[in-house]
Amino acid sequence: MEGGFLGFLEKNSIYIVLFIVLVIWSGIFLFLLNTDKRLKAIEKELKEK
Amino acid sequence: MAWKITLFVLMCFVIVTGISFPIVLHPTSWREFPIIPGLEEKAKIIFFHVPTAWLSVVAFLMAMVYGIKYLRNKNLDDDAKSSAALQLGMMFSILATITGSIWAKFNWGTFWNWDPRETSIFILLLIYGSLFALRSAIDNEDKRARLSAVYSIIAFLTVPFFIFIMPRIMLGLHPGSLEIDPTTNKVVQGTNPVVDFKMNGSMRLVFFVSLFAFTILYYWMWSVRSKAIIIKENLSKKIN
Repeated sequence: MEGGFLGFLEKNSIYIVLFIVLVIWSGIFLFLLNTDKRLKAIEKELKEK
Repeated sequence: MAWKITLFVLMCFVIVTGISFPIVLHPTSWREFPIIPGLEEKAKIIFFHVPTAWLSVVAFLMAMVYGIKYLRNKNLDDDAKSSAALQLGMMFSILATITGSIWAKFNWGTFWNWDPRETSIFILLLIYGSLFALRSAIDNEDKRARLSAVYSIIAFLTVPFFIFIMPRIMLGLHPGSLEIDPTTNKVVQGTNPVVDFKMNGSMRLVFFVSLFAFTILYYWMWSVRSKAIIIKENLSKKIN
């Protein structure tokens, strides 16, 4: 692999793990955000009926 | 919303620093962690494994608090909140067991060593596991809520003993347990990395930020879970 960012990642592979964990955390965060939003909407709908 | 963004940022901070900061012999900047003899890179588990164990204590405490609340006002919503805390407490205990066990294989040689802390979490899993069996065996909502509240109060009384006392008064592998001093061959109180000076300032900062971030995450998961249980119960009441 040539130099640059990809070359850096190849030599310091812990940063690959770091990015993977960050992506997983973002996914979990967005999922929680979404679930919370949906539950609030259902709660509101139940109260109105 | 602000606290959710704070949670996101704090957790990213913990992940970035906890994973990428190198462990060196003599740290010269705040971006380096000191070496702890015998642990080296594996010391980083403290940023992720200890918070899960901490959250199980928080969750079981919350289950007890909402259990007491239920017994006082007989409001089924409090039972739902207690139940949500119990589920999360169980999940985090299992996570602490699994993460610790994977780590133990590489540091202590086997997945399971019957160290006092391992034994105590095993007993806690049994105690709280049987509460789920109890809950699922009772159809009557009020009876289930009352029994579960009483059980979660009694079960929590054992938690301080199992988590904070027993591992510190017995010989063990976890930091803080009693250990045998190799030079004098006498039993001495082991060092606790949180209290003593093996961790430097930045390591301690990341550790406490991690505890804080995980606690906010727990609170959010708990509120989502209890909301879902309350909605489910309200819906089933409307349908029947």
